[in-house]
Amino acid sequence: MKFLLPSINHDRLGFQKLIELNVAAAEVSFEDVEVDMSSVTWLDADMCAPLGAILYRLSAALNEIRLTGIRPDVEASLCRNGFLSHYGREKVPDRWGTTIPYQRFEVKDDRYFAKYIEDQFIHRHEMPRMSRGLQKKFRESVFEIFSNAVIHSRTRMGIFSCGQFFPKKHRLVFSVADLGIGIRENVRLAIGKEMAAYQAIVWATEGTNTTKKGKIPGGLGLKLLREFVTLNRGVLRIVSDAGYWELSGGQVKTALFPNPFPGTVVNIEIDTSDQHSYVLSSEISPQDIF
Amino acid sequence: MSQATNLSVFEIVGSSLCVASDDGQKVHDRIASAMREGRTVNLSFLNVTSITSAFLNAAIGQLYGEFSEDAIRTGLHVTDMEQDDLALLRRVVETAKAYFRDKEGFTRAANEVLGDES
Repeated sequence: MKFLLPSINHDRLGFQKLIELNVAAAEVSFEDVEVDMSSVTWLDADMCAPLGAILYRLSAALNEIRLTGIRPDVEASLCRNGFLSHYGREKVPDRWGTTIPYQRFEVKDDRYFAKYIEDQFIHRHEMPRMSRGLQKKFRESVFEIFSNAVIHSRTRMGIFSCGQFFPKKHRLVFSVADLGIGIRENVRLAIGKEMAAYQAIVWATEGTNTTKKGKIPGGLGLKLLREFVTLNRGVLRIVSDAGYWELSGGQVKTALFPNPFPGTVVNIEIDTSDQHSYVLSSEISPQDIF
Repeated sequence: MSQATNLSVFEIVGSSLCVASDDGQKVHDRIASAMREGRTVNLSFLNVTSITSAFLNAAIGQLYGEFSEDAIRTGLHVTDMEQDDLALLRRVVETAKAYFRDKEGFTRAANEVLGDES
């Protein structure tokens, strides 16, 4: 089969196009799957995470994936972040140092993921200068996103991540995608309530709602992300099942796709020029914690 | 006054990045073992640079399912934690208290429905 991929931005339409690729190849196995990229004039590098997840699912069904017709500038960009290394191209050095490479992790790889973030983001001098507070918050946010995927997704096919720095816009974008059961199914299993996929995301990002059961509490990760992104004036996008949820400028927008994404994607975009100190207004004493 | 056990999170986890729930579980197991023996625990976060809510939920949050709030207040002391990490810990503790209160309520309600008096 052949699928014509259009340009992909990290927005609702971009996710919609990736879902269409997933739908087109949903039932295919032992086939040659050609993704024709001749129409792709731009692909936000952080979107390699959800694209890679979909292609991984296709290759797990023993399809042979071929990415064809890639324009030289797009190819250069996707070679720099290591994405095309998975599809027969050589990895080339990232001369501009604006990529956080595409990588796939197993759910047991928390520490490996943490090291990847340290090596590829924290200890690289090419990465944007950010205040210490902002850098710590961003780092912890991506760890929260990964932990969320580990704890909730029940994926057996791994977790995919990729990031990109846009120096002129002072934006840093990072995506984590999994091929798990999605937030809607998680909520259904936890509280026995059927809801639309976007409503399930709203539910999971509000109040003290949690799908955690058992002896370890939960339910903070997505709320912390939401608070940080609001303060930073960034953007947080969550795609899960057929639900789309976007927080931008403190406002939430939701939408329902005609078909589901086969898992969950969390995409965080932050303003790297943010000078907010992230220091607490009042001191907390360790004696007052418990 | 009960004897104190000093625990280093960095030593238990073996890393300054305390992000994994499984690593939090290791910390929890040591705290819980000491507290079950009636010892107070001094938990040091020296050299820890990143902490997630998932780690703290496993390490400390789940203690509220086994020990009373009083026992934790008197038996567990944290040191060497940055202010924003203390703020995160406080959120985790508040969430854990609410989680186990609701859980007890849920179990009680379920038992009432099932006619279980135990």
